[in-house]
Amino acid sequence: MSVDPLTGTGAEYRPAGPALDINVALDAYKGPWSPRLAAHLLRRAGFGGSPSEIAAAGQAGMGHAVDRLVHFVPDSLPAQPQGDISYQFGPNADVMQRRRAYVLTGLWWVNRMLQTPNPLQEKMVYFWSNHFTSGIGQGGISPQMMVNQNNLFRSNALGDYARLTHEVSRDPAMLLYLNNNQNRAQLPNENYARELMELFSLGVGNYTEADIRESARAFTGWTVNRRFGETAVFNPRFHDDGSKTFLGRTGNFTGDDIVDIIMQQPATAKYMARKFARAFIYDDPEPELVNALADRFRAARYDVGVLMNVILRSNVFYSDRAYRAIVKTPLELVIGAHKSLGATRVEPAALAALDRMGQTPMRPPNVAGWPGGALWVNTGTLLMRVNYLNQLALAKSAAAAAGNTAMGDGATMMDDMASQQALRMPANVADPSQWVSGVKMDDPAGLTDRVLWMTVQGDATPQQRQTILSYVQTDSVGNKVSLSMENFEEKVRGAMSLAFALPAYQLS
Amino acid sequence: MMSNRRQFIVQSIGGFAGFLAIDSIFARAARAAAASGAAAGAGRSLLVVNLQGGNDGLNTLVPFGDPQYYRVRPTINVAASDVVRLDSEIGLNPKLAPLKPLFDQQRMAILQGVHYPNPNLSHFRSTEIWQTAAPDKYVDTGWAGRYLDFAGRGTAPNLFAGVAVGPVLPKIMVADKTDVPTIGDLRGFRFNGTRDEQAEADKILGGDGYKYPFQSPYLSLVQDVENHAHAASTQLPHMVAGYKPAIEYPKTPFGQGLNLIAGIINANVGTKVFYISLGSFDTHVGQRAAQDRLLDQLATGISAFYQDLAAHKVDDRVLTMTFSEFGRRVEENANRGTDHGTAAPMFLFGGGVKGGLYGDHPSLTDLDYGNLKWHTDFRSVYATVLERWLGVGSQPVLGSQFSTMNFV
Repeated sequence: MSVDPLTGTGAEYRPAGPALDINVALDAYKGPWSPRLAAHLLRRAGFGGSPSEIAAAGQAGMGHAVDRLVHFVPDSLPAQPQGDISYQFGPNADVMQRRRAYVLTGLWWVNRMLQTPNPLQEKMVYFWSNHFTSGIGQGGISPQMMVNQNNLFRSNALGDYARLTHEVSRDPAMLLYLNNNQNRAQLPNENYARELMELFSLGVGNYTEADIRESARAFTGWTVNRRFGETAVFNPRFHDDGSKTFLGRTGNFTGDDIVDIIMQQPATAKYMARKFARAFIYDDPEPELVNALADRFRAARYDVGVLMNVILRSNVFYSDRAYRAIVKTPLELVIGAHKSLGATRVEPAALAALDRMGQTPMRPPNVAGWPGGALWVNTGTLLMRVNYLNQLALAKSAAAAAGNTAMGDGATMMDDMASQQALRMPANVADPSQWVSGVKMDDPAGLTDRVLWMTVQGDATPQQRQTILSYVQTDSVGNKVSLSMENFEEKVRGAMSLAFALPAYQLS
Repeated sequence: MMSNRRQFIVQSIGGFAGFLAIDSIFARAARAAAASGAAAGAGRSLLVVNLQGGNDGLNTLVPFGDPQYYRVRPTINVAASDVVRLDSEIGLNPKLAPLKPLFDQQRMAILQGVHYPNPNLSHFRSTEIWQTAAPDKYVDTGWAGRYLDFAGRGTAPNLFAGVAVGPVLPKIMVADKTDVPTIGDLRGFRFNGTRDEQAEADKILGGDGYKYPFQSPYLSLVQDVENHAHAASTQLPHMVAGYKPAIEYPKTPFGQGLNLIAGIINANVGTKVFYISLGSFDTHVGQRAAQDRLLDQLATGISAFYQDLAAHKVDDRVLTMTFSEFGRRVEENANRGTDHGTAAPMFLFGGGVKGGLYGDHPSLTDLDYGNLKWHTDFRSVYATVLERWLGVGSQPVLGSQFSTMNFV
């Protein structure tokens, strides 16, 4: 081998399409607007769009569609999981109660993703939760603490990143997750200080091991009081108020001082700009693009709303280079499919499926969050994805199948969960005839095109279209069949399931 | 990179539907494996066990003969009376007792003081360094992935050249030309469609046509992986159908993962590298209970695995190697735990191993900012495994030549 094997390639995951002109990349997009680009916007700035949401954004035009996303309206969704999420620690804890609390908490969040009138707000909650990571049940983090942290991300969704970093530094779930609870003057624990710099702000290479040790001293004293509502408390007895030297400055620093100093470093804006670019534009952003975004972010004094407004209106965001250039996370895949199918609610089975796809809500694999990109795409997870979507498309509505309508009530639903039946119900989807409403029964080609539009906005090859059409028109032994009252629903469900297996559907 | 994979798909998988074709593909994979077995390293495979989270080496391989150990670890030490003694100074954590028979049979080697220059104490970077074998630069491929590309060059691709247990592809297995299947459990590893959908799903998952109305850096990856997933999932149940474990494996995910690996080893389809992880060993707080529980899983799992392999007479073909991104700080912290450290021992198991202790235990008094000093570069261990076990040159995989050791 003459090539240096250690250089790797990775080139195939670089953005495709014409090279970027950095001078206009962040300028407002003035090109043609279409439902296809509207669907792209709704996938990136939310969890995908239902057919009617895509149509509305397509008609609104780019400017209005983005306005609608960035200006949040009050929602009437529950701010808290419905049901008992209390949680006991220790060896005598009730395992069933703990599991129930986890499920209720996870369900609460994924249902917000599906039902929210403010998709960008929920998308940012997801972004922040995968940035400032914490894991439910880890280090004694209770479901209620995770809910509170989740709501902190919600109220700061498009807010001030610096302020959010301050608040996260004394968030009870975070204090426990990175052991700041155990960080005391006499015996420092460096875990939070290290991850704050490595993963939450500066990025590797912009601080030293000594900076970690010194800043850990500044964060001493913050702990969690479990007796009074699991709140954060500052205990001066445990705080090291000696002089610290951090990033070249010396003083009697507190944790807040450390965050302030971090925010003054240009590296922080750059690190965050790259993270935003990877989450919303494409995985391997050019350094020039990152620098341009970092400049805007600093100029806006870390106002995330300003930055997201730039990104979601930009030429680069609507370029061929960005289109379907991100691998859907399991959450995006599952919630998006629910929207396509007109589901009103996400059922517990979705949580088990997300777990098998490698993304348990509120339990990232480690403090770096879900790695994403090519790592979502492997033989195991792709089978899980395709199988879950198949199950979803083939599912009869839970209410219809169970013969009751009590599933909406959280507590009742949890009782139902004990009967395995509810766990098997993947969704409360709309009637399949609604998926293809307007298509005549004697028009299999029209039905195929409708299904391809709902799932991948037509992003299929001619052969793929022909394959689905042939499914609609034939049976398993190859005999020609006509669509009829008897086979219509089954064929629509099957066609949808096949379309979900298209490679385009795996991409955002 | 994709053209080879695409050709393979078209030639060998594109047209099949039904069990006969599947069986013939399976037979072809087995024949290909047998043919490639003519080279050195024939029939041999490597199992890499990642002790994820930074396993504390000092409480794994305990220097009970050194009083300093008890001075720096007043509350979390392993009492000398509990240690499973390997010599007068060094012994195993009692939870590793199930491994002692392997040590006594010279089928377990322990390499002490292994790490790399300028240790990085970040979990992620350090894990990446171990998985890419590149301490001084960022690279996109893992060292096992590069080995699979190198070993597979010029031959028909084998869908099971590498196998990773778990939902996520570990970086160690990321390759340019080789897709490594990630398998959680056998039951879930197949496409569930109705009979009517199946034939059309074969075409869609098989990736018919590449004329997309859009570009994407991930398009061919997704298409190829769907294709491979579909093909691999139809083959795997046939592969392991004839295998019956000779012993009951522990009911832990680690134990069950080893059971699955043993089944694939018995299928003899030419898998070169397996990967499984166990964790988390990130014991900043309350280390003894957490680490002991994990070491117990490690020992009972590996013990069952080798008893099973021995019963099937394949234990001499499988070398197992553990690694962890780093060991932990010598001195315990205030939370009866330990913070991130450096050097730690590596374990090797298998019939090909020359058992025993290798290298000196790092000094507990001559430290590097509170951390152990390493003396053996982990790339020497990899070079040894590549050259002496898998029978390939290590330079093309590791980028430089490293000295080899005598443990195999």
